[in-house]
Amino acid sequence: MLQDILQKEKELFEDGVQTVLRGQENRNRRVVILKGNIVQNSRSESRGINARVGKDGLFGFASIAEYSEEAARKVLKAASENAALLAHHSENKGIVLPPSYGSGVIPTNRDIVDAEQKKIIDACRTIDAYVEKKYPDLESRTVVYTEDSQDRIIYSSDAYSGHLTTPRCYIYVMMSAKTKEGAPVELFKALGGYGCFEDNFADLEQYYPEIDQLYKKVMDKKEGVYAEAGYKTVVLGGMMGGMLAHEAVGHTVEADLVMGGSVAGPNLGKRVASDLVTMIDYAHTYNGETAPLPVYLDDEGTKAVDAELIRDGILTGYMNSRETAEKYKMKPAGNARGWTFSDEPLIRMRNTCILPGKNTVEELIESVDDGYYLIDSGNGQADLTGEFMFGVTCGYEIKNGKLGRALLDTTVTGVAFEMLKTVDMVSDKVEWSSSGFCGKKQPMAVGMGGPHMRCKIMIGGR
Amino acid sequence: MSEIREIVDLFDGILKDKKLEKYTYTLVKSEKQELNVENDEFKLMRTVFNNYASIKVFKDNKMGNASGNDLSEEALKKLADDGVSAAESSPEDPCHDFAPDQGKDVFRQGIYEPDMDRFIERIKEFLAAVKKEYPQVKVMQAIGSYDRNNWISRNTNGTEFEAFTGEYSFYAGVCASDGEATTGIDGAGFTAKDLDTPFIELGEMRRCLDSISKSIHPESLEGKFEGTVILTPGCAENFLYMVIGNYISDGVVIDGTSMWLDKVGEQVASEKLTVALKPYDERIVMGERGTQDGFRAEDVTLIEKGVLKTHRLGLYASNKTGRPVVKNTGGAMVVEPGDKSIDEIIASVDKGLLMSGFSGGQPGANGEFSGVAKNSFLIENGKVKGAVTETMVNGNLGEVVKNIRAISKELTCSGDSVMPYIAVDGIIVSGK
Repeated sequence: MLQDILQKEKELFEDGVQTVLRGQENRNRRVVILKGNIVQNSRSESRGINARVGKDGLFGFASIAEYSEEAARKVLKAASENAALLAHHSENKGIVLPPSYGSGVIPTNRDIVDAEQKKIIDACRTIDAYVEKKYPDLESRTVVYTEDSQDRIIYSSDAYSGHLTTPRCYIYVMMSAKTKEGAPVELFKALGGYGCFEDNFADLEQYYPEIDQLYKKVMDKKEGVYAEAGYKTVVLGGMMGGMLAHEAVGHTVEADLVMGGSVAGPNLGKRVASDLVTMIDYAHTYNGETAPLPVYLDDEGTKAVDAELIRDGILTGYMNSRETAEKYKMKPAGNARGWTFSDEPLIRMRNTCILPGKNTVEELIESVDDGYYLIDSGNGQADLTGEFMFGVTCGYEIKNGKLGRALLDTTVTGVAFEMLKTVDMVSDKVEWSSSGFCGKKQPMAVGMGGPHMRCKIMIGGR
Repeated sequence: MSEIREIVDLFDGILKDKKLEKYTYTLVKSEKQELNVENDEFKLMRTVFNNYASIKVFKDNKMGNASGNDLSEEALKKLADDGVSAAESSPEDPCHDFAPDQGKDVFRQGIYEPDMDRFIERIKEFLAAVKKEYPQVKVMQAIGSYDRNNWISRNTNGTEFEAFTGEYSFYAGVCASDGEATTGIDGAGFTAKDLDTPFIELGEMRRCLDSISKSIHPESLEGKFEGTVILTPGCAENFLYMVIGNYISDGVVIDGTSMWLDKVGEQVASEKLTVALKPYDERIVMGERGTQDGFRAEDVTLIEKGVLKTHRLGLYASNKTGRPVVKNTGGAMVVEPGDKSIDEIIASVDKGLLMSGFSGGQPGANGEFSGVAKNSFLIENGKVKGAVTETMVNGNLGEVVKNIRAISKELTCSGDSVMPYIAVDGIIVSGK
C-alpha cells in the first residue's frame, strides 16, 4: 500500500479556496489464454499525485506521475495556476464554496495483497484445462484474468481525509460453439469479485458448477433462434435488472447530466416507475453485508452514504458532487470519483440497485404466455432522454409460462421512465455484478444489481 | 522533456546488468493541457504530466510484459524484474516475437509548442458560434486538449525509434431543448495540428449541430420494414471497425471463428468499397510510425474494390497461423469516395434512415447486430423527414459491406480518419 507522505503538505493549502490533495496507485494484472495459447501476460502500475483547487465554480486540476513531497507541492501550485488561468478567461461565477457536511478521518478499509504472476497463470491454466478436457466439442474457449485496484490517500481542506483501497479481480470464461449453419455463437461468465487473488481464487473448484452452467447455455444458444422484433412482455433477469438500474436510470440522475438537461430534471418528485420500483445507489453496505464494490470516501472528501434515487416509483434524488448538491439543495453522498491519479473527480455511480419485491422467479416466468426471458447482457448505453439499449447475449423464449428455445444475440431498448411504469412483478432476490467498467470520460469500476422483473420492452430481431 | 534519452540509457544499463538477451521496450514522457466545458461554460483546467514505461522480456521462448509510469532508477529495476518474472512464469510459445532490425529513426509530427491562449480563444469562439447559430443547442460537455509526447522505443534486434508529437484535439457533446422537450446526446470531435480553422467548421461538427437542433421532437416509428440506411461518416467508421474486429483481427483468426477465415483474395464486399489504414496520409494528423510489434508502420489496404486483401494480423497471430503480418496496429481509416453526392444518394432512397449513431450490443461472431438508431432521421421518397426515437436496426456486418448502394463523393476528415457517407440496403428497421 502507499505510504502516507502527504499529511504535512496540508500546510500548503491556500486560504479561501477548496483543495483536495490525492495520492493514488492503480494496479492492473492481465492474462489471456486463447484456445490454450497465452496471448497476453502483463502487469502494470501507475502512481502519482493530483490536486484540485476550486472557487466560484471554477476548478484547477494538476497531476504528476511521481509520488513524492516535491510532486505534491508542484501539483498544488499548478492546480492553483490552472484555476487562475480559467478565471482569467471566464466570466462564469458559480457556487463560491459548497459546504462539506463534516470533517474527520475515514479509517482504512483493507490491505491489497499482490499475487505472483505465476499463480495467476496457473489458475487460468487450471480453468482452461478443465474446460478443454470436459468440453472438447467447443469451437473455441478463452480464459481471461483481470485485476485492477485503487489505493488512494486523500487530504481535503474542509472535509474528510482517509486512506482507502478497492481491489477486485475476475476470471472470465468465454465459450464459442457453431450453429448447424456454421455460424459461431458465444457466451461468457465473470467469476470473482471484490478482493485480491487469494480472496477469490484460492479454491477454483467452487466455480466449476458455474462453468458447467455456461456450457449448457452455449449448447442451448447454438440451437437458438432470432427473437421476433417488437414490443414484448419480458422477464428481465437480475443482471439485466442491474443494467437497467445503471444505464437506463442511473445516468439520467447523475446531477451533472441533470444540469445538461436530462429527463430527470423536470421529473423530481414525480412518478417515474410503478410503485414496485425502489432504487438506491449504495455506498458500501447492502443488507448488512459489504456491497460489491464498497466506497467509503469520495475524491472530494465526502464521507460516502447511500443515495436514494427512486422510492416506490417516485423520483426522490440525484447523485451529486458537492457543487451540484448545493445547486439542487441536496446533500452530497460521496459520488465524486476519479479513476487514476491523473483523473479529476466526476459524479459516478457506486453500487446501484433496484430493490427486491415479493414474487419468486418461477412465478414471474409462469405468468407470461408469450414473451422472453432475458438473462445476461453484454453491454448497455443510455442517453439524456432515458432511451436505453442493452445487448442481450443470453435469453429464452417463454411460451405458456414455460421456457422455450434459446435466443441468439439481440438488443432491447426503451425509454426508462416509461418502461419502468410497466413493471408489474418483482422477484424476491437481487443478483449483483461488479466486473464492469462504466465509461464517462474516464472508466470507473461500478457495482450494479437488480431483481427479476416482469415488464414490457422493445426487442430487436429479424 | 529532453531527459527521456538519459532515462533510456539508464534503462539499457539496468537491462545489461541483468544479462537479459532479448527484450523490447518503450519509454514515454507526456504532457496534457486540457480545458473542460460544462453546460456552455468553462469549468476545469487540467494538467497531466505522465510517464509510461513498458517492457516485453523474452526468455527461452517465453514472453512476459510489465509496465508502469515511474521512471526512477529503482522503479525501472523493478519493472525489469517484473518483466522477467512474467516471462519465466509463462509457458513456452515461440510465436511471441518482435520485428527484425528496422534501423534508427526520429519522427516529428504535429506542433511541439502549443499556443494555449489561442486554443482557449478558439474554444470560446466555438461556444459563442453555437449560441448564436444554434440557440436551442447546449454544449453539455466539451473537452479541448493539447497533448505532447516524446517516446523512445528500443529492442535487442537493433531498432530504435524516437518520436516528438504534439496535437490539439477537441470534442463537443451537445443536446438541444425546447421547454421540457430534450434531445439525447450527440457529439463530434477532431484532431488538428494547427489552429487555423474555426472549430465549428472541422470534422463533423456542423453536421452534428444541424442534426441535434432538428431532433427535439422525434417520433416513434410504427411497425417494421426493410430499407436503406445511410451511415454518416462517423457511424460508417464505427461499422467498419466492427467488421475488422469480427472478421479479420487476431483473435478471430487465431481461434478460427472468423467468417472470412479463407476469404483473402475473394470478393467479400461491394466493389464500391475500398478500405485502408493509412497513417502516412496527409489528412491524418498523428498517424502511427512504429507498430506495437516494432515494425516501421506502413499504409495497408484491407479491402480493395470489395476484395479482401489481407487479414489485419499482428506478429503473434501471424506466427501462430502462418498468415502474413500487417505492419500497422490500426487507426487512420481512409475509405475511398464514391461518385454520387450525399443529396443524390438521399434522393434515391424510397424508405430508410439517415443514421449518425448506433447504440447496440457487441455483434455476434457471426456478424449479426441489432441496436438502436441514435440521432437518426426517417427518409421517405427521397427526402429526409423527422427525427425518430425508439427505432431499432438489425442486420449482418457481412451483408452490410456487400449491400452497399452508394458511397458519397463528399469526405469528412477528422484528423483521425477520412470517411464518406455509406448507404446500405437490406437493413431491418423496426419501431414500436
